[in-house]
Amino acid sequence: MLPIDAAAHSSRWRHRHPVDKAVLGLGLTVLAISLPPWPGAALVLVTALVVMLGPAGVPARRLWRAYRVPLGFCVTGALPLLVQVGAPDHFVALADGGPVRAGELLLRTSAASLGVLLLAFTTPMSDLLPRLVRAGVPAPVVDVALVTYRMSFLLLDSVRRIREAQAARLGHSTRAAEWRSLAGLGATAFVRAFDRAARLQDGLAGRGYDGTLRVLVPEARVSVRFTAAGAALLAALAALTFVLRSVLERPL
Amino acid sequence: MVPVSQETGQGTSTIHEVLERVCSAMHIAEGFLPPAHAIAWSVASAPFVVHGVRSLTREVKEHPESTLLLGASGAFTFVLSALKLPSVTGSCSHPTGTGLGAVLFRPPVMAVLGTITLLFQALLLAHGGLTTLGANVFSMAVVGPWAGYAVYRLLRRFDVPLMVTVFFGAFVADLSTYCVTSVQLALAFPDPSSGFPGALGKFASIFAVTQLPLAVSEGLLTVFVMRLLTQSSKGELTRLGVLVTGGRTKGGADAVADTGTEAVAR
Repeated sequence: MLPIDAAAHSSRWRHRHPVDKAVLGLGLTVLAISLPPWPGAALVLVTALVVMLGPAGVPARRLWRAYRVPLGFCVTGALPLLVQVGAPDHFVALADGGPVRAGELLLRTSAASLGVLLLAFTTPMSDLLPRLVRAGVPAPVVDVALVTYRMSFLLLDSVRRIREAQAARLGHSTRAAEWRSLAGLGATAFVRAFDRAARLQDGLAGRGYDGTLRVLVPEARVSVRFTAAGAALLAALAALTFVLRSVLERPL
Repeated sequence: MVPVSQETGQGTSTIHEVLERVCSAMHIAEGFLPPAHAIAWSVASAPFVVHGVRSLTREVKEHPESTLLLGASGAFTFVLSALKLPSVTGSCSHPTGTGLGAVLFRPPVMAVLGTITLLFQALLLAHGGLTTLGANVFSMAVVGPWAGYAVYRLLRRFDVPLMVTVFFGAFVADLSTYCVTSVQLALAFPDPSSGFPGALGKFASIFAVTQLPLAVSEGLLTVFVMRLLTQSSKGELTRLGVLVTGGRTKGGADAVADTGTEAVAR
């Protein structure tokens, strides 16, 4: 199982309805990209961190391991904003206001990522996917996504084992061997995926498969109190942002 | 795109490795695009995804057993993007998998499978994002597969050998994905003095050093995988339409030879 999904399955909010968590998590993300980065995104970032490490009980170490990936992209993507091309004196020069723009982008992106991570760290995909049908996603697409989701873990495990076996047979000792091993790995993943699908199909056909994959979805009800509290928090964040912004912009 | 250790939760990664992956992945991170751009790219991707969803739904209704094969294809696409790819320059990265996916499953299906894969990557691996899903879908699940598939079909029409067409299909799919991402970023963040062209130059040059060799690497890997598949999975490739059993008469009769499977253009 992937680390984020494993954390979601053991989350304190595991049994809450996905809508409860989506309102809060995706709401924070929308606020992060809609509000002025300073102080809006900064407030969203702090709020998301407090909610995740506090009430949601997300382990800090796991959060950092997941969070550093988008953070790396943000840093790389923000670097070009520091320079400008085609200035009159120099072809490449430091951009006026570049550090501010890069800082704002970093703030906005890092805050928005945390909002999505809040949803991801508290909601397993197996809870989310079947409910997408009610959101209007065609059932066949959700079924394909469910099969993809469940088969991905098995395939990833197979790939890891095959890599270990290849390494034990000096499959990564030279550049040529590495390419051979990698090609074998890709081809074997394909063969295993289709073999598993064929066996699943045989098994389901024996059980009267009619084209619908019926899965048990854990019972959960939308909590009006939780959702209202989440919406109130979002509204308070937006209001606080505009109040702080007017205070910060006021001349001393 | 993503390291094996990240998926399995095993091993550790240095910041350098993370940056390297992130640079090579070219997923646009959550919140990176302004709201108007995020919405615009979602609108641009929507017709392709809807078209793919309709063809997938029709396929599943006609052949219910396709659900499992399509799910397996999605899982294969997801796992393919997790393989570590040795670059010809000596570094390593992860393939986009769009070229091989387009050749095997065709672009409309890849639009759906790519969207599902990107959604999983956003929620399970923190790669990409939900507000930037439209932009990432446009580059990785629409332009990449269509560009790669167009080159593949074009070369097949001129009777170029299968493996050469597969190489160029994967190469173009990989490169076009990165070009579109650079355009998306340049449109969102134009250069203060030179505007969009300057910004495009900046974003493209950051990734150009690594992406050209990586596109070559992905092309080579796709050829190697396809060579093995033509040896081990003729049945599946024939079912997917990549291979057609030899001996078919010109009139399209069902006279198909038992042996001599060969690759022909679809």
